[in-house]
Amino acid sequence: MAHQVHAYHMVDPSPWPLTGAVGALLLTSGLAIWMHFHNMTLLTLGLILLLLTMYQWWRDIVREGTFQGHHTPPVQKGLRYGMILFITSEVFFFLGFFWAFYHSSLAPTPELGGCWPPTGITPLDPFEVPLLNTAVLLASGVTVTWAHHSIMEGHRKEAIQSLTLTILLGFYFTFLQAMEYYEAPFTIADGVYGSTFFVATGFHGLHVIIGSTFLAICLLRQVLYHFTSEHHFGFEAAAWYWHFVDVVWLFLYISIYWWGS
Amino acid sequence: MYYKFSGFTQKLTGSAPATAYNPQGLRSGLPAESPTMIFATPTKVVSEAGATAEYMGANKVPDLQKFFQTSDGIPVHLKRGYPDRLLYRTTMALTIGGVAYCLVALYIAAQPNRK
Repeated sequence: MAHQVHAYHMVDPSPWPLTGAVGALLLTSGLAIWMHFHNMTLLTLGLILLLLTMYQWWRDIVREGTFQGHHTPPVQKGLRYGMILFITSEVFFFLGFFWAFYHSSLAPTPELGGCWPPTGITPLDPFEVPLLNTAVLLASGVTVTWAHHSIMEGHRKEAIQSLTLTILLGFYFTFLQAMEYYEAPFTIADGVYGSTFFVATGFHGLHVIIGSTFLAICLLRQVLYHFTSEHHFGFEAAAWYWHFVDVVWLFLYISIYWWGS
Repeated sequence: MYYKFSGFTQKLTGSAPATAYNPQGLRSGLPAESPTMIFATPTKVVSEAGATAEYMGANKVPDLQKFFQTSDGIPVHLKRGYPDRLLYRTTMALTIGGVAYCLVALYIAAQPNRK
């Protein structure tokens, strides 16, 4: 086998970009078909294809990095840039919804009663469950940092325990938020208050679920000895994403829950 | 004419002799083997730990590394053989079938309503 004289990763030909693109096609057209004809087949097919693509694509990255050694320092640098850029794009995504919230809440229209919260809306008390949610996410930020230091110091058992605790806190947040959604006295259909509240917090909740899943994969990999004390970028990427999710919540809490009540 | 591998364009470009003889990323005095990787340090006292430290299963990574680094020309997504092939074929079948179903559904959806 010819050996490369550079430190970069020339990947093997892979079918997953194609299957992922087709998955996106099926999801979008499936959404349209579902909305017009009440048929979920295409949508479900798209979701299955997306999940299969994600599983196999990321499984292959683990094989290439951990088992085949392709993730040299320059390659890892590229992966770091990639994750930073992705998280930046997500920041802009949320920025849009915060823009919408402030646009509507800083100058409430006469139709709302000229006030914020609008007439007829009883907002959630920011010092009840939302405050608990804030504490839960802040604590999870501490435990994920603890897990990182444990990995760097080679403390396998501590790393597993602190990472598990982080994931449990993430699930606790999701559970509490689901309860809040169920018990809330207003819905997404309640004017611009309902729209901005549920779209912003809803997308945040989705990101908490994604982040928890990413951390759970890292836990599995930690148990399987994939991470070393010097090289554990998958975990670092998950930790960055988790801190991003935490920061978004803090902005949501301050803007929508507290200032907006 | 001397050449270097440009990290920006990912191609060979002209360079000074010094750069050609000292490629970026190739450091002299670096050991051929990477340093021993530390997967876990035992938390027990050495006399209690036994031969290896084990918590939640033994380390199979070195075996997997040897397995995946066999130079048989098989791409990484099929390297494990049968389970990989099964999953790949299922995914590809859903992909092709999905495209066909999608085109048919969109064609039907594009037909005007007959009342």
